[in-house]
Amino acid sequence: MKNRSAATDWAAYVSQMESVLALELDDARRQEVLVQFSRIAQMAEPLMALPLDPRLEIAGVYRA
Amino acid sequence: MKSCEDLTISQLHHALQNGDVSASEIASATLDNIEKSDPTLNAFTHVTRDRMLCEAAKIDRLRASGATLPPLAAVPYAVKNLLDVAGEVTLAGASLNSSNPLAKHDAWTVSRLTRQGAMLSGMLNMDAYAYGFTTENSHYGVTRNPRDISRIAGGSSGGSAAAVAAGLVHFALGSDTNGSIRVPASLSGILGLKPTFGRISRSGSQPFVASLDHIGPLARCTADLSQVYDAMQGSDPQDAFQADKPNTETFSRLTHGQQGLRTAVLGGYFSTWCDDDAKAAVQLVAKALEAQETVEIPQAELARSAAFLITASEGGNQYLPLLRSIPQQFEPLSRERLLAGAMIPAAWYVQAQRFRHQFQQQVLPLFEHWDILIAPSTPCSATLIGQETIRINDADLPTRASMGMLTQPISFLGLPVVSVPLMTASGLPIGLQLIAPPWREDLCLRAAWALEQQGLVKLLASPVTA
Repeated sequence: MKNRSAATDWAAYVSQMESVLALELDDARRQEVLVQFSRIAQMAEPLMALPLDPRLEIAGVYRA
Repeated sequence: MKSCEDLTISQLHHALQNGDVSASEIASATLDNIEKSDPTLNAFTHVTRDRMLCEAAKIDRLRASGATLPPLAAVPYAVKNLLDVAGEVTLAGASLNSSNPLAKHDAWTVSRLTRQGAMLSGMLNMDAYAYGFTTENSHYGVTRNPRDISRIAGGSSGGSAAAVAAGLVHFALGSDTNGSIRVPASLSGILGLKPTFGRISRSGSQPFVASLDHIGPLARCTADLSQVYDAMQGSDPQDAFQADKPNTETFSRLTHGQQGLRTAVLGGYFSTWCDDDAKAAVQLVAKALEAQETVEIPQAELARSAAFLITASEGGNQYLPLLRSIPQQFEPLSRERLLAGAMIPAAWYVQAQRFRHQFQQQVLPLFEHWDILIAPSTPCSATLIGQETIRINDADLPTRASMGMLTQPISFLGLPVVSVPLMTASGLPIGLQLIAPPWREDLCLRAAWALEQQGLVKLLASPVTA
């Protein structure tokens, strides 16, 4: 199976999110965000590959 | 007579009732000890001297009047500085909160403890925003471990653990999102209770991750931990996350000990990612609690990842407006980590929340066969301050993120846990998690009490001399 984290251009994603969230980062901070985001993406990969029952709901606790 | 810090809460209550000591004397001794030790430890961010003396005078007047004293009368305690204390600023470990308005009211738990007669000595240091396991805080300094001041006390409730371990207070309140009570309890050699998710009110505390935050106590012995926990229970209509469950009184059940408890050791992920000292401690406790079997929780590593994602996403969102407006005021050790979390795609977050449900459905049936599951609280004992990595299972892991790797899957499930300290061959303590089914805090407290009776868990304060 293709390694998604390695194949995905997280630098482009972080740059896009920087714009979406109206952030102003210098190069050093952008680089550190990329390091942190890549670590999160690595953890997300096996979780996103896990098939879940279509009827499985979130474990939320909201009560009206 | 022993000094007050060497007495249990019950013994202190007895001494107070007999007139052997007054509340004002206890308060003054506590404040003197903090003044002597805290410059070395850096456990406190603020000492509430006037409030403590005022609370002490009130208790002394009550006793003089012949009235019945409340159960925690004149017991010194302190709280992690993310719980509101009326008239003080709630920092949550972050200097960007230092100019916030003063809290108008006590947090629900603080108010509850005040009504029970406990005396508040101050507010305690922590990792910024409760995002960390080491209490190395760039703005408020590192909190040092009373057992060895060259080492971390753990975090994020590091000030809470250090103040209790040093004997400065009988108990402290902390919060636990991914292990922030159990990790510092483990590294500082004391007990910590993370109650069931939704058990104790969080009203009046600075939120970090609403889906995972818990409030709980840390203490030096099971009886004290149990008494404080019992005093903290109660219904708070203001807390929408609190579950509608009856209180479960634990103190009167402690002497049932391990009688009838079916205990097993957690293997797999939990026995892989720890060092030999932790493994030896698990063996000792397993023998003492007559655990015959090892069981595995499948997908524990995925649970850790899911807890990590939920934490990063909710924590990042919590601080996003301030990350935009005043980034320069953030803790440098966690600023970009928070920002990366705020960028997580919704699909990842929702998948983590759905997996939480599935994981719960997989794990809860284990409790049809077992009452207590044993696992290390931390992969190893306290590391040196500033130590960037720990070597576990032939891998170098980042210290700040990895100290909670064995606690994260358990709080993700919301299960109640007592972390009990054992001494290792290296001379440093390490904690073991005694994990019980939901709403059965009484079971893990009974197991902890049984270990104390067998002499495996010892009540030791580590006074610090500057």
